[in-house]
Amino acid sequence: MQITTIVRRTALIFLSMVFSMGIVFAQQRTITGKVTAEGEGPVPGVTVVVQGTTVGTITDMSGTYSIRVQGPSSVLVFSFVGYQTREITVGTQSTIDVVLIPDVVAVSEVVVTGYSSQRKRDITGAVGVVETTALKAIPSGNVVSQLQGRTSGITVIGSGQPGQTSRLRIRGFSSFENNDPLYIVDGIPSSTISMINPNDVESISVLKDAGAASIYGSRASNGVIVITTKKGATGVKVTYDMYTGTQLAGGGPTKDLLNTKEYANLQWLVYRNDGTNETHPIYGPSSNASPTLPGWAADTDWYKTITRNASMSNHDVTLSGGNENAKFFAGVGAFIQNGIIKTTDTKKYTARFNSEFKVLEGRLTIGENVSMTYGSSHGVTNLAEGSPIQMGPYRSQPIVPAIITKPIKGTGHDFVPGEYGGTGIIARLGNNTNALANLERAKDNNNYNLSVMGSAFADVKIMDGLNVRSSLGGRFFNGAYYSFNNSTYENAENNATPSMTEGANYGGHWTWSNTVSYNKTFGDHKVSAVGGYESNKINIYRELGGTRAGYFSDAVDYRTLSNGQTITAAFSSASTPVTLVSQFAKADYSFRDKYLFSATIRRDGSSVFSEDKRYGIFPSFSAGWRIKDESFLKDLSWLSDLKLRGSWGTLGNQLAVNPANAFSLFGGSPDQSFYDISGTGSSSAQGFRKNRIGNPDAQWETNVTTDLGFEATLFNSKIGIVFDWYSKQTKDLLFNPELPGTAGSASQPYVNIASMSNKGLDIELTYKNTFGDLGFNASAVLTTVNNEITKVADGVNFFDWGGSRIGSYNRNQVGHPMSAFFGYQVAGLFKDAAEVASAAKQDGAEPGFFRYADINNDKVIDPKDRTFIGNPNPDFTYGLNLALTYKNFDISTFIYGSQGNDIFNNNKWWVDFWPSFQGQKSQDLLYRSWTPSNTGASVPKASNKSNFSTNTVSSSYYLEDGSFVRMKNLQIGYTMPASSLSKVYLKSVRVYVQAVNLFTITKYSGLDPEIGGGDRAFGVDAGNYPNVKQFIIGLNLTL
Amino acid sequence: MKKNKILFTIVLAVFAILVGCNKDFLEIKPKGSLDEGVLATEKGVNTLLIGAYSLLDGVSSQFGWEAASSNWVYGDIRGMVGNKGTDAGDQPDINPLQSYSETSTNPYLNVKWRSVYEAVSRCNSVITVAAKALAAGTITKEQHDSFVKQARALRGWYHFEAWRMWAKIPYVDEKTDLSKVANTEDVKAKIIADLQEGTSLPNNMGQVGRFNGTVANVLLAKAKMQMNKDWAGALANLNAAKTGTKPNGTPIGLAPTYGEVFDIVNRNGIESVYTVQYSVNDGSGAWNGGWGEVLNFPYKGGGGSPGGCCGFFQATQEYVNSFRTTADGLPMLDNSYNNFPVKSDVGLTPSQPFTPDAGNLDPRLDWSVGRRGIPYWDWGKHTGSDWIRDQSYAGPYSPKKQVYQKKQEGQYTEVGNWTSGWTANGYRMIRYADILLLAAECQIETNDLAGALANINAVRNRAANPDGFVMDGAAPAAKYVIAPYKPFTDQNQARLAVRMERKLELGMEGHRWFDLNRWGITQTELNRVLAYEKTVPWGNSMYGSATVGPEDATYPIPQRQIDLSNGKLVQNR
Repeated sequence: MQITTIVRRTALIFLSMVFSMGIVFAQQRTITGKVTAEGEGPVPGVTVVVQGTTVGTITDMSGTYSIRVQGPSSVLVFSFVGYQTREITVGTQSTIDVVLIPDVVAVSEVVVTGYSSQRKRDITGAVGVVETTALKAIPSGNVVSQLQGRTSGITVIGSGQPGQTSRLRIRGFSSFENNDPLYIVDGIPSSTISMINPNDVESISVLKDAGAASIYGSRASNGVIVITTKKGATGVKVTYDMYTGTQLAGGGPTKDLLNTKEYANLQWLVYRNDGTNETHPIYGPSSNASPTLPGWAADTDWYKTITRNASMSNHDVTLSGGNENAKFFAGVGAFIQNGIIKTTDTKKYTARFNSEFKVLEGRLTIGENVSMTYGSSHGVTNLAEGSPIQMGPYRSQPIVPAIITKPIKGTGHDFVPGEYGGTGIIARLGNNTNALANLERAKDNNNYNLSVMGSAFADVKIMDGLNVRSSLGGRFFNGAYYSFNNSTYENAENNATPSMTEGANYGGHWTWSNTVSYNKTFGDHKVSAVGGYESNKINIYRELGGTRAGYFSDAVDYRTLSNGQTITAAFSSASTPVTLVSQFAKADYSFRDKYLFSATIRRDGSSVFSEDKRYGIFPSFSAGWRIKDESFLKDLSWLSDLKLRGSWGTLGNQLAVNPANAFSLFGGSPDQSFYDISGTGSSSAQGFRKNRIGNPDAQWETNVTTDLGFEATLFNSKIGIVFDWYSKQTKDLLFNPELPGTAGSASQPYVNIASMSNKGLDIELTYKNTFGDLGFNASAVLTTVNNEITKVADGVNFFDWGGSRIGSYNRNQVGHPMSAFFGYQVAGLFKDAAEVASAAKQDGAEPGFFRYADINNDKVIDPKDRTFIGNPNPDFTYGLNLALTYKNFDISTFIYGSQGNDIFNNNKWWVDFWPSFQGQKSQDLLYRSWTPSNTGASVPKASNKSNFSTNTVSSSYYLEDGSFVRMKNLQIGYTMPASSLSKVYLKSVRVYVQAVNLFTITKYSGLDPEIGGGDRAFGVDAGNYPNVKQFIIGLNLTL
Repeated sequence: MKKNKILFTIVLAVFAILVGCNKDFLEIKPKGSLDEGVLATEKGVNTLLIGAYSLLDGVSSQFGWEAASSNWVYGDIRGMVGNKGTDAGDQPDINPLQSYSETSTNPYLNVKWRSVYEAVSRCNSVITVAAKALAAGTITKEQHDSFVKQARALRGWYHFEAWRMWAKIPYVDEKTDLSKVANTEDVKAKIIADLQEGTSLPNNMGQVGRFNGTVANVLLAKAKMQMNKDWAGALANLNAAKTGTKPNGTPIGLAPTYGEVFDIVNRNGIESVYTVQYSVNDGSGAWNGGWGEVLNFPYKGGGGSPGGCCGFFQATQEYVNSFRTTADGLPMLDNSYNNFPVKSDVGLTPSQPFTPDAGNLDPRLDWSVGRRGIPYWDWGKHTGSDWIRDQSYAGPYSPKKQVYQKKQEGQYTEVGNWTSGWTANGYRMIRYADILLLAAECQIETNDLAGALANINAVRNRAANPDGFVMDGAAPAAKYVIAPYKPFTDQNQARLAVRMERKLELGMEGHRWFDLNRWGITQTELNRVLAYEKTVPWGNSMYGSATVGPEDATYPIPQRQIDLSNGKLVQNR
């Protein structure tokens, strides 16, 4: 963006000089003055013309001008790129000083794209632009989660865990292995932006189609997100932004689950249903009319026990300044968030220094940007067995005290007050661990990550319009961690020996890129081109670590690796780096600003492929037609602008491929191939196995993307529409088909065999108007993706993914979208024995259990009757942003929604079936399940039978509509009047209050419908860290 | 303009240099692995061979208890000496295997299949690389032959394991075109040939974990009996084995007492002909220590019982009853023992009083099963339902044979994993009593009833050694009454005797269902046991409407493998 501004400034200066030569020396007087810009100081190069004449001049280096005018009615017009044009009637004044106000619209219309920036009106590809002010509306330390719903074509899903990185997908999926977009941060490609401070971001562009993204060639098939960070500007500016607030844990799922008395009653219901007689170790003989509770019985609300209301706060200080030849920006930030699950938190401290210098009479620009990030988190597993939400509320019986208050003689441990309670108190309490104990014990674990990312560049202006630029940059990171695994006493299944794991890692990547750019206008013809050469080394990583067991003491200060008695593991792992060498070129041509053409080509060479298959070529073509400028539309006054555009091109992906893919390799590890050949009992001899089968023929995954769209503005630009239809066809999709078992179990190679299709619409609408003091601004984005797998492998048309206690739920199959849910269709519950007898033969069938649909009508329910029972992919997602300003007040809200996606509620497996472990159960199971007197129920009979007809297979019973609408943000701000600030030397002060996630409308019965997961198996709720309500106050200050 | 030209030339020159550097820059070798060439040495081939041995336990971090070669699921639970145990919802994929209603998509079967064929693939790597090494002159012919014989014996064994699971199996050797693997040919001869190759190995291989001629002879005999009913051929191999040694050259024979066989310290004792070697605290993070049996320990929270996880693999009541002996110390070969069931504490809490069964019992019961009131290794007396995860689901018994002793915790168990049930108690793949009983079987089928009697009674007399009774203080823990058989009246009675003896001697050691298949009585015997077991208080919810059909003498070939074979593998039923 900076470059373009410079180019355009140069052009304007040049134009102005031409103007000034034509000045007719008429009479009257001379007006002088100084032009400054708000917050910036004097502005050189501003065009000053007398309206209706050809008389004009430009301001000099100190912003002053001098111009002759005819009389008092003359009007001076001050114009400068990026600022609102001002018109001032001369009157009797002889000195006119002007303050220019930045034109926000104009600034945002320059868009940073691959290796260049362009006026938005000239772009022929599909590029989404995110306003950085919109980003900041969501209080988060992570830019990715802030992007949710902000531009069409992207889908972002994330949990409420502090420091988590949300899953961001651009236009669906184009790979089975890796669908992460490529991030470009100040020109440096990166696979993550978690280390970026959101406050440092100046602009974000999302390159969605081949027309926009193919200049990034082999790494662009998942889309590209281009981020630039803030730079200094003329003048001095100091800002301080902060917010602080609280996150409310809420009541969780407790209301749907049982209390202690109810749980015992449920056991009695099971006895009745199953006809079991026994003496229950806790509740007494089943022959009693009702259970009795022991004296130690608690009534624990496990959700409340493991959660808290948690604070979060953020502080950012930035300093920027400079003059024509030197600019700098410095910022420091601190983001600290405690999680609503106890002991979870994240801390992120960032520092950035960006600077830029012009030397050699402005022909050489050199600059750098560097950021340092220190992060440290206490996290928990999520969407998996063992996550606190699953282990606590969904698995812990309420009878178990979280903390012992009176002595209990347990089966193997005598509990005393103050100790943790647990499933070890007596039989039948289940095998879960005490979720609170897990969290509290983990609080002394620690980790940090330190990341340094930056680049330096030199840009030489060889002649007007021709620049050469070289930049070298990258990222280095280093981290260390240790965690202690306590011995436990309170559980049914205890960990006898404490152990400790400690490790450290480092890694990074670098990029050297060199470009030549050329911009020139010849009459009606405008040409801009960029070409370059780039080399990358990525995936540099090494880790070392070890585990020792047998610690004399659990004392926190005693925890070093050396203090452990037995070495259980000592390892180092080194990743194989990947190198890339690329050449690329892009040319844009426009004729009369009306007919726009663009062509891009990139050739990439990658070390992950063998020599014959190493290079890939990725071209794209796009065109635009500003049809509004045609004579036949000139007269349509309501139509402010209309541009049609289309693009076609190919993009590549190599992220799926292990760098060792081409090689057949042998190796060994103690856990897989070592053997105690000498019978020592305590040592094993090294053994090897074939651990990788190579495929030297693997090639790039290729995406062929077509995009058709239009951009229109209506009614004096009050309404804006951006519409895109796209089709993204991935061919040669890299897949590592599972080999038959007879081929051995070495890692299977990736082969270019699968294919996938994504089609959809991206729609953005904006409306902007002012009514007196009232300003109104609304925008809506809509994203649809229709994803379909079109081929998996020869002879194989599906693969299952994801695991659970009863196998995988997600099947990726030809003709279906990624990650679709697969299992038996529940047709209802067997009402009675007669229905069982008349139904298709089904293992375990009995009244009150599931009756599955006989899909193939062969009178037997078997695996052939499994079918697709749901789809976690939404029909569409949308974001709606509304903002009102009235005098000094502003109010804004952001609503995000997802429609038409299903959730596989795996928590039901734990709580709706008695034999799914002896953990917590649901109100549904006790009060709304099938009984001989309630045969119309939808919840199966409470029974201790675990079989095909109850809880051992995936079925549609677990599926729920996961659609939701959520108010992500409601913010009310007040900006102090400038008059009151000048006395305290402040430029601007704004205070605001904010509510986040104020309400959610959904039919989903679980904690939170925002369920992520890996691309091949997502949408399964296995205990999700919820997104919760947050209340925030904040301050924005400019000095 | 001249300046421009200079600048431009410099830029172009830099570009040209950059483009020229491409090739080396893009050559990156994978880190952390070796290729075949490096391994074609004596050390390399041996290391591959150790890799092939290392799957004798069936498990690794890739394959879990589903593939355990101790076959507690496929041999014992399927053979109804044990049940799944634990509670209804844990490892629910075992439920259909024990109620004879498994489908071809049962994940257990696929893991077992993949483990067995990964092991085969490792054997083939040994043979391939040994040939390379021989050609390159880095190993001698003698070394080559030793490696290849071991690899072929292993390959034969792994294939046999597959055969007795699925019968219709593909055979894969180092020359097999992996894209054309089918299961339509008869592979029995190839399995025999591979095992035969191992019989010419010397008896002293230097290390106890290798295969030697003795081990190969026993495995070959098992294959001949199971696949071909070649009793005479098998007997020759077994007789050869009886005079053999362990792979490290030390002698083999019956251990003086029964219980000591299962003590970890005796894992390579005199009784053990081949024990799959487990090691703990060896830096592997426990993966070499009894991973396959890690679930099979009593379930008592907070310590005071071994393992702490997960209460699987409990004995059936029918199996326990079969230890009932008559007044003259003999088992009830007509199965009438079920009329005199062994008393259990089912339905009682530990605080409710209980006196164990007072009737005549075979002393081996209390080494095979943990039950209330009987000392359980050195852990004290089994106290009943507090050692059991859910008595109302799986009954009152605990597994015992592979369980470690309290004094052994930490030394023979892994420290620092989630349970202490990772032990060095290697699976007794071949023990001497097994050889004697297999030989007796062959003798009966070849009508040498006297020879059979001698072999069976050798086993029985050892069990009767009172030094080996489970003791409660100074007295036997129960009324142990056991005596040798009188001479057999006919072949049929001898058959009943040897079959009963295998159940009593080798129960819970992974053999039962395979034995039933060999005898051809799977359906009748298991339906009989099922009918009884459904009458015990926990039997109905566990077995429901289960029945055993003729197809239940094999497991279905995993559907996943059929799918992956592109139609070349066919289902076996």
